[in-house]
Amino acid sequence: MLVQLVVTGLALGSMYGLVALGYHITWVTSRTMNFSQGHAVMAGAVVAFAFYVGLGWPLWATVPATLVLLAIFGVALERVAVRPFFRAASAAWLLSTIACGIIAENVAMLLFGKDARAFPSALTQKPILVGGAGFYAQELLIPVVGLLLMGGVQLFYHRTAYGKQLKAVAYNPEAAGLMGIHIPRAVMFAYALSASLAGIAGILLAPILNVAATMGTIIGLKAFAVAIIGGLTSAPGIVVAGVGYGLVESFVAGYLSTGAREIVGFALVILVLVVRPWGLLGARPTRRV
Amino acid sequence: MRRVMLLLLVLCLGLVIPPSGQAGESIKIGLAAAVSGGSAASGEAIKRGIQIAMDEVNAQGGVLGGRKLELVIRDDEGNPAKGVTIARELVEREKVVTIFGGLHTTVALAQVPVWHELSTPYMGAWAAGTEIARNGKSPNFVFRVSANDDYADKFLVRYATEVLKKSKPGLLLENTAWGQSNEVGLNKWLGQKSIKPVGIEKFNWNDPDMSPQLLRLKNAGADHIIMVANAPEGAQVVKSRAKIGWEVPMVAHWGISGGRFAELTGDLSDGVAFLQTYSFFGKQNERGQAVLKALKDKYGVKGPEEVIAPVGTANAYDGLHLVALAIAQAGSADGSKVRDALENLKAEYKGLIKTYKRPFTPDQHDALTDDDYIMVVWKGGKIVPVAMK
Amino acid sequence: MVRLAWGLLAACAAALPLFTTNTYYLYVGASVGLLTIVTSGLNVLVGFTGQLSFGHAGFYAIGAYAAACLTTRAGWSPWAAMPVAIVVTALVGAGVAGAALRVTGPYLAMVTIAFGIIVEGILVEWVSLTNGPGGIFNIPKPTLRVSYWLIVAVAGFALVLVANLRRSGWGRAFLAVKGSDIAAESLGLSSYYVRIVAFSVSAAFAGGAGGLFAYLNGYISPDSFSLQTSILFVLALLFGGEGRVAGPVVGSLVLTLLPEVLTSLVDYRLILYGSLLMLSIYWLPVGVVGALAPRRGAEGDRDGERRRRGHGDPGAREHGRGGDGGQRRRKTEEVEGRSAEQALLTVEGASLAFGGVAALADVSLEIPTRGIRAVIGPNGAGKTTLLNALSGFYVPDGGAIRLDGTPVAGRPPYVIARRGVARTFQTAQVFGELSVLENVAVGITGAGLGSVVWALLGAPWTRRADWAARREARAALAEAGLTEWTDRPADVLPSGLRRRLEIVRALATRPRLLLLDEPAAGLSPSEIKELDAYLVRLREERGLAIVLVEHHMDLVMAVSDHVTVLDYGRVIAGGTPDAVRTNPAVIEAYLGATQ
Repeated sequence: MLVQLVVTGLALGSMYGLVALGYHITWVTSRTMNFSQGHAVMAGAVVAFAFYVGLGWPLWATVPATLVLLAIFGVALERVAVRPFFRAASAAWLLSTIACGIIAENVAMLLFGKDARAFPSALTQKPILVGGAGFYAQELLIPVVGLLLMGGVQLFYHRTAYGKQLKAVAYNPEAAGLMGIHIPRAVMFAYALSASLAGIAGILLAPILNVAATMGTIIGLKAFAVAIIGGLTSAPGIVVAGVGYGLVESFVAGYLSTGAREIVGFALVILVLVVRPWGLLGARPTRRV
Repeated sequence: MRRVMLLLLVLCLGLVIPPSGQAGESIKIGLAAAVSGGSAASGEAIKRGIQIAMDEVNAQGGVLGGRKLELVIRDDEGNPAKGVTIARELVEREKVVTIFGGLHTTVALAQVPVWHELSTPYMGAWAAGTEIARNGKSPNFVFRVSANDDYADKFLVRYATEVLKKSKPGLLLENTAWGQSNEVGLNKWLGQKSIKPVGIEKFNWNDPDMSPQLLRLKNAGADHIIMVANAPEGAQVVKSRAKIGWEVPMVAHWGISGGRFAELTGDLSDGVAFLQTYSFFGKQNERGQAVLKALKDKYGVKGPEEVIAPVGTANAYDGLHLVALAIAQAGSADGSKVRDALENLKAEYKGLIKTYKRPFTPDQHDALTDDDYIMVVWKGGKIVPVAMK
Repeated sequence: MVRLAWGLLAACAAALPLFTTNTYYLYVGASVGLLTIVTSGLNVLVGFTGQLSFGHAGFYAIGAYAAACLTTRAGWSPWAAMPVAIVVTALVGAGVAGAALRVTGPYLAMVTIAFGIIVEGILVEWVSLTNGPGGIFNIPKPTLRVSYWLIVAVAGFALVLVANLRRSGWGRAFLAVKGSDIAAESLGLSSYYVRIVAFSVSAAFAGGAGGLFAYLNGYISPDSFSLQTSILFVLALLFGGEGRVAGPVVGSLVLTLLPEVLTSLVDYRLILYGSLLMLSIYWLPVGVVGALAPRRGAEGDRDGERRRRGHGDPGAREHGRGGDGGQRRRKTEEVEGRSAEQALLTVEGASLAFGGVAALADVSLEIPTRGIRAVIGPNGAGKTTLLNALSGFYVPDGGAIRLDGTPVAGRPPYVIARRGVARTFQTAQVFGELSVLENVAVGITGAGLGSVVWALLGAPWTRRADWAARREARAALAEAGLTEWTDRPADVLPSGLRRRLEIVRALATRPRLLLLDEPAAGLSPSEIKELDAYLVRLREERGLAIVLVEHHMDLVMAVSDHVTVLDYGRVIAGGTPDAVRTNPAVIEAYLGATQ
């Protein structure tokens, strides 16, 4: 049972971390985020389903096409729901992204249908049995891909020139603007990247969770929790928090009960924040006096 | 400022827009179900059943001297407070004669006082919680052509003990009011056979993996699983069962038919037995053929494998015909009179699920009992009946 | 005009059941009422104090279940169960706030979301108490008409409570913490404590509404208390206009009626709902009420209005039961008790470094109980850092700071403020949403707020304390020449006058030590002369110690009794203005090395 729980926990946790990175990326670039990030995960799964099952495209075409569409979705969201409020220094982007989420879920329901569909994958056909425990190869693939992607995002921000520019926007928007970095474009890029990451999570999770228009909400919520306890400003913190949260959830469900899972999970979130108010590795915002 | 006025104007207009359809001409039947959210597919199935039956009734001239029946739908969003609001709206504004209900036991329970306050009959087509129909009210306005958890549990226990001949059940229930209702029922009927479940495990909606629960049941020595779940969770249970390599017989309540269970599980669905009130597979009676044809013509459903949540459609279909007969017998669209007519239905109705002779009495508001249920099993993506001997 | 509108609304609401027996309309009306109660409470948290919560469905649930359990299991009467439910919810709210309010922004949002989900989970799992997912039924309920009237009455009452709160010292304290928690702390308010109180009040309102919800429906189950419900609460408030008393009413009306209007469009309903929300967020960023009635004067000043209309002075008593009398008396005694020579504040070897850079290095000085001491130095010398350390905003890494001989380094700013240290800031931190008068009143009331319950109820003694504070504020403004701005919102003040307001507000706390951070910045030469005279007057008339951080040498030389010079965080010179002016080390620091 332990192996089972660890594998499931790692798989889900790495996906929470991946989606949570999306919150982090937009937050550090613009101090805003897509409160309906979970719906982007759903969009990834639904769009991939439409290509793969609906149109019969092969995987190597489905994945890039989905990511492109998701990136466009991210850009559109930023344009419509975030940019108008970004300058006004109001929290209206919070509400508008929530409203967008409501619209997205119901459009998906209209177009995709109301029931859950299966996403076929060779990696979920036969379970791998090790001792008394079994798991699907997909569940092993997910954390590997997830960690690779998260590492890739980190490398991008630290090693590439454009990535470093984007980080500059994070630290000091005015200075970055004066240095010739185009801030609106940086924000747009952040949202596109963030949506694509969520989309990848959706594609990876689809064979395991099944595709449904309502699948996004709870994932978005838990990813938000992960982003917060990892520290909104710290990508490594988020990765650690994601994996940690997934494992904790898995163990609680396995050894205690499923009912306790949410209660204990979220109680731990509160506990972490009481002890470390800005997340495990987050930076305390400086109070200018 | 102008924008605010514009916005408010739009809202006020909406309030004074008269209710849909030509008032006075048609007789309205309401449907209050979850149209959005996780259970929406089953809500859609109920709607189809009502609509098909309604078309048949209207084709034969309607009721009460040529008045056509019309369906008015509202979404309860799975929220009891919303359910109460739409209940009142349907009766007070839309003036529906009878309301068909919905999927969620909690919503139905919240609505029970409203039906009685407003003297409007309610015909349940899905929600199986025992206390919905057995609510202790007199006169009782709640009727049901559907499963009743108490009967369902009796039926499941009978199958497990008499047909499968197993004696160590592990219960796997969803952590909702429906699951709770069945926990009570299963414990009761197992107790009557002096059997205690070796374990009772729960899971939540949208849970991806139930291996821990299954492992615990396995370690407790269960020789069969009685499952109460909807299609997505049921599919995950079956997949988890395969993951841990446990080949154990499974008997389920009808929830798993509320979605694409076979598609979600692939060939893992083989051998999962579950109860239904009706099946569109196999030889169909005249009504069954008519319904299948109507499903194909109106909704593009190509064959029985594509019928989602068939019990919703079947229950609602028969339910509507019974309501139409009651309206005819009452000779009026008055809620109380229709209720009395339903309780004392004189006409015999050769329906889809069975032939109904006096389906409701003051003590019995469930038209179907465990004698009417059937046990079916998945085989190669098709549903095949199983004998209950 | 506004009163007419309120009266009309109240009349319509009350009369509805007389015109229609349509239970749908009555039920929808009751739902609007319930939402109004919750959002009024949420308004105190969000609108007044500026904190967001996405977990208020949890308090709604606690109220509902407490009322339901007490009635169905313990057989209590609903009249007894309701107050208990409210108190229980308020206590839980205080507890949650204590944990949550150490953080802000999205972190706070997460804690509230987590709370809501935990409550939902407990409702499902604790079957012996809550009956689990099946819910509790057969809760006794009155007829729909009676329920409707009851809920509408409570909603009206809730609005009155919030209006009372807004007018009181607590209301000002909330808005002060929202506007600038730094400035609020410098006036003696513990922003943490103030926020906890706001949170508890909002929880109590939600709990009360929850109890009424249980009695309205006769049946409750966990699915009514989800995250969607919490989000609806916030949406209703923000749509209607947070911070305005009428906001909750408008928001509740629209967000309850809107889904009903769209109800016949079954499949497209939620898409339209979401789109309409988007449109209104776009068009009405400050909510409906904010767009219809932009803030002109401060909402709180009713008696000012009355006086202008010639109704005379309401109440003539000085002391309120505000608890502030003691604080003031003590300070006056202390001022008179000390001789001019004794040190009020001493700094010994204070050091403070930011990430390796020393902002203060071994700084020592003594500030006597009277006199004006200037602190000067080139840019980046550590002057503001020193002020921040003296007022408690920065904690030195080493050395000691003593006030009246007791060490204060490391005490929170509001503690130091309450001991008689007031200050102004380099960028004037006025409370923008409060009027100029109310800004000063915050200084006068300080931490002497009394019980929030009396403030909500509008108790006579709270009102008297409030009037006394306003009278005193008015006098102070007159003395400072700001009378024509009295009732304008502070954020319309031009920047020179903002500084003046800050000083008036700081003085309102009757401090013994006043720290001024570059008060002359941006003033014209004639204004500087005025400031010069004003500072001297303060020193003479009030017996105040003033520490002045300044760049304007004329001002410094003209008014100071003593000048301390800082450079790179060190004291490089100290003495009379003349001595310092000719000190070679000082000249070198400002101009570079001399030959």
